[in-house]
Amino acid sequence: MAKQYDVLFRLLLIGDSGVGKTCLLCRFTDNEFHPSHISTIGVDFKMKTIDVDGIKVRIQIWDTAGQERYQTITKQYYRRAQGIFLVYDITSERSYQHIMKWASDVDEYAPDGVQKILIGNKADEEHKRQVGKHQGMKLAEEYGMDFYETSACTNYNIKESFTRLTELVLMAHRKELDGLRLASNDELNLAELEEDGRKADGTANSKSCWC
Amino acid sequence: MDTNNDTAKDRISRIDSYGFERPDGFDYASYEDFYSRYMTVLTRRAMKWSKMMQKSTAVEKGIKVKRYIRKGIPDEHRPHVWMMVSGAQAQMETNPGYYHSVLLEGQKNTKLVDAVVTDLNRTFPDNVKFRKNASPCLQLTLHNVLVAYGQHNKTVGYCQGMNFITGILILVTKDEEKAFWLLDALLGRILPDYYSPEMMGLKTDQEVLGVLVKMKIPAVAELIDRHDVMWTLLVSRWFICLFIDVLPIETVLRIWDCLFYEGSKILFRVALTLIKQYQAYILEAKNFPDVCDKFKDITKGKFVTECHLFMQVQ
Repeated sequence: MAKQYDVLFRLLLIGDSGVGKTCLLCRFTDNEFHPSHISTIGVDFKMKTIDVDGIKVRIQIWDTAGQERYQTITKQYYRRAQGIFLVYDITSERSYQHIMKWASDVDEYAPDGVQKILIGNKADEEHKRQVGKHQGMKLAEEYGMDFYETSACTNYNIKESFTRLTELVLMAHRKELDGLRLASNDELNLAELEEDGRKADGTANSKSCWC
Repeated sequence: MDTNNDTAKDRISRIDSYGFERPDGFDYASYEDFYSRYMTVLTRRAMKWSKMMQKSTAVEKGIKVKRYIRKGIPDEHRPHVWMMVSGAQAQMETNPGYYHSVLLEGQKNTKLVDAVVTDLNRTFPDNVKFRKNASPCLQLTLHNVLVAYGQHNKTVGYCQGMNFITGILILVTKDEEKAFWLLDALLGRILPDYYSPEMMGLKTDQEVLGVLVKMKIPAVAELIDRHDVMWTLLVSRWFICLFIDVLPIETVLRIWDCLFYEGSKILFRVALTLIKQYQAYILEAKNFPDVCDKFKDITKGKFVTECHLFMQVQ
């Protein structure tokens, strides 16, 4: 049977409540946009396979509830991610200010070497804009991240930003990928590799834990 | 089968009696089949309840009331019975005028109001009564109850998930103040610490479910362990939204009947019943996403739609 994919890994969407994380995800995986959908409770995910430079990449994209207190649940998922989208809403200054807090949570809970990009969503709502594009660029530069303004509504920069983060994760794992090319019958599961690594260190959480 | 479904579709409204649009792919034929049988049950229960309520509307706790509630509270008595058995009625009577004063106070709390407003459009977009252009528009009622509650219980404030619970309370009671006191009974007494900042009650209950599954349905526990699936991913919605938007509305209301009378143990019973019923199906899962998909699938179909039978299994 032909391989369904070469590499599998996990991306995570974080950011304030209502910035459009679920809409970004639905646009990317199903090319759908619903102006009104229900608020995300807890954590959910969708899958998509994309082709990057001839490599079939299966990505599991985790969508999280943005409300602060749900972090007690969602932070448990950070450690399982290889790439993270930090999302704010260009029509909400507050959501932009909070990126600082989200970034420091990533530092605290995500694995070292996790790839990040900054997203300013709702770029179609120019008339309500509170955060200038240069502000987004400046912040991204400070954190050493790539930056995209996107619109799930008009399908602007969606594919580009998801593909970019995927490329970044691939680049960060180039060594494992080269190994893959040698033994081309195997699939590379970055997610499991890293978790196994942690288990070997004895630092993995007990499996009976609720997280 | 399709013709059956098409003719049933002509007979059954696209919008249910609570205002929810039936989803695409809704199985009208089997719903009609279920509902025609359920109607008989509802009529019989309504007669029994009316007889009991004629004697006294006090709904005092006891073996008979418990049995009656297990078999379902008729729509016309549901708000009253929920108010009585949960203690919400007593609270409302001891605190006249409280709701309106706490609402006024809450409206000045911008942080709270903002958090509530973010979710107004995202609460039941599939329900015609919650649309912006509905008249009366229940979004305003929802806004008020959530703001008042957030002010009343400052530790909890507003937590996502409360919007759905409050929405159902409003649809059932059609009364803002009663919805407030029922929310207070649920969050303050029946499900303590589910929505507080640390969500300890919620986390504990999810963990307890994991332990129960290990004891009662060990093969499923082993599968979940093997694929390293977190319980929060599988059952958060079940606990946080008390099965709203997970199970069919009639079934949710039957569960809530028991929830108000017997407390949160009904949530475990329902969860275990679902997992046990579909054990073989769940065990077919071959990987992590499979497990998650199966847990979504088991909340749909005939077994959960047949709410009367479903509740008898509990």
